Amino acid sequence: MEEEVKSKVIGVDISIERTTFAIVDIRGHILAEDSFVTSDYLDANEYVTALSEKLYMLMEANGGYEKIRSIGISAPSVSSVTGSITNAANLQWKGEIPLAALVRDRMGMAVAVGNDAHVSALGEYAYGSAHGLKDFMIVSLGVGVGSCFFTQGREHTGTDGFAGEFGHCCVVDDGRECGCGNKGCIESYVGANGIVRTAKDLMLESDEPSLMRDIEKLTPKVIFECCEKGDAMAIETYRRTGKVLGLGLANYASLINPQAIILTGGISHAGKFLMEPCREAFEKHVFPNMRGKVKIVISRMDNRERDVLGAATLAWEVPEYSLFK
Amino acid sequence: MTHESIKTRVVAVDIQIDTTTLAVIDVRGNILQTEQFATGTDPNIGDFSSILSERVMTLVEGNGGYESIRSLGICCPSSNFMTGCIENAPNLPWKGVVPLAAMIRDRLGLAVALGNNAHARGLGELAFGVAHGMKNFVLLTLGGGVGSSIFIDGQFYSGTDGFAGEIGHSCAKHNGRQCGCGNKGCLEMYCSKKGILLTAQEVMEERTEPSKMRLTEALTPELIVTFCEMGDELAIETMYRTGEMLGIGLANYATIINPEAFIFTGSVSHAGDWLLDPAWDSFNAHVFHNIKSKVKFLPSQFEEREANLLGASVLAWNVKEYSLFK
Repeated sequence: MEEEVKSKVIGVDISIERTTFAIVDIRGHILAEDSFVTSDYLDANEYVTALSEKLYMLMEANGGYEKIRSIGISAPSVSSVTGSITNAANLQWKGEIPLAALVRDRMGMAVAVGNDAHVSALGEYAYGSAHGLKDFMIVSLGVGVGSCFFTQGREHTGTDGFAGEFGHCCVVDDGRECGCGNKGCIESYVGANGIVRTAKDLMLESDEPSLMRDIEKLTPKVIFECCEKGDAMAIETYRRTGKVLGLGLANYASLINPQAIILTGGISHAGKFLMEPCREAFEKHVFPNMRGKVKIVISRMDNRERDVLGAATLAWEVPEYSLFK
Repeated sequence: MTHESIKTRVVAVDIQIDTTTLAVIDVRGNILQTEQFATGTDPNIGDFSSILSERVMTLVEGNGGYESIRSLGICCPSSNFMTGCIENAPNLPWKGVVPLAAMIRDRLGLAVALGNNAHARGLGELAFGVAHGMKNFVLLTLGGGVGSSIFIDGQFYSGTDGFAGEIGHSCAKHNGRQCGCGNKGCLEMYCSKKGILLTAQEVMEERTEPSKMRLTEALTPELIVTFCEMGDELAIETMYRTGEMLGIGLANYATIINPEAFIFTGSVSHAGDWLLDPAWDSFNAHVFHNIKSKVKFLPSQFEEREANLLGASVLAWNVKEYSLFK
């Protein structure tokens, strides 16, 4: 009897707001895709049950369960070593959630789980700007600030799977309180909430007029729009953010000595308002022998697409498994 | 039929600012014979290479002969393993980029590997020391400078240009103390020997209590540790501040690398608990919460020169054998 080789996998991207899942073929084509609201499920078990049902429906509508080899999942605060979500700072599920085991038991196929930053890097390595690079860092700038680095063409997970927690490096001793429990983390300055906080601090520091004062709900995107209209205070907000980011990246690069740093996530689209001060601070603080050698680039992939493709890449890395064999 | 002979010895060379040490070392890390000479201040690297090569020849001829030596490993500050060059060394007499490995290879006709102190010691600890059996760890050198080497999956990680692990030149304090590398606020300016002395100065200026440090003309970190043991408040405060800075630096390091352990080497690490206790507390207060208390702090069990020589010998085993005469 001929052994049938399965040529499709499922990629799942669990983000704080939305969960996106897709069937992806061997060349990275997304064949079918769907999504739902993550925060609707306060209980992790209910969430996994709902996710499994939706995955099953998508499979059945697109060639059937038997054609799928395995599942790859990207989620925040996950350790790929244990397959668990561990003490997530920004998710509603607390403590230790053995996500890989829960989904595998419901779906009856192999499940690989990766930290969102690691999975982003995989997607970028397989299909994006990092293709062909050996040593690089990828830094995601959004609500949280995460990162992953590749050494000699392989991702570095660390002993417990927590490597690359760039967002929780201390940049100001005794600085702003962070969701992780520490103080002065980079995330509390460069993450979305950190940028808004910097803007508010600036508004309190002086009486100068600013477009930002008239806006009820400030977001990094709104602040960016103010920058484009030439608002000095909004520009200063991003200048401070860029400075902290540049310093953090310089310390990171001094340890890793990468070929390139790839920035992803919504905040990476703030353009020159963020990048000019960031590059300046980077070159100022990086180890002198690396000065001028490290490229800092903005990812060209769509965020959701990259994470789903990265999760699919992850799915190919686990050994195939079936309840029915 | 000819018998292939397998060479079981290497030459290890440890070039430091004052002294250069060379040794014949066997495959099990037994140091069979050592010799030393003054590194000197002659800026001509050609002269130094010639002297070193002659010394190596004399040493090996008296210890089993040239034919018994497989290769040569050199441990030297500011060296780049990938290029085999000493690159812009701030503390050595040879300026710019010096292709030392190639120069020695051409003089001796043996394969030569060159690595910096952190790299060599990391290899030495992995082969013969406290890192034996570890996969992911970071080795720190705390002395005249602050350096480190990263081991991932049991392999030394060099980075794209060979500069990975430059923790001493990561910024610990924005716009802080001026560092020899040109940047400001580098960790090295707080946790190296000179950093500790600057901190001692600061503590003495800020506080008014009497202290043995005030009565000492030529203060050294070793003396400060001695004063700590005598209960001198300001000496203890000096080491406390040093440890606190070191803890933050290492916390940020571990948050990125997630290693099993930090291995401490170098003269400053001999300060023991006066340094490592505050460093451990500050480390755990700043590190990513999921790895809190999980990373081991391990002081090396080797004496420094021994660590460098053993590391250089492992470097020597890592290069491909090469001979002018084959």
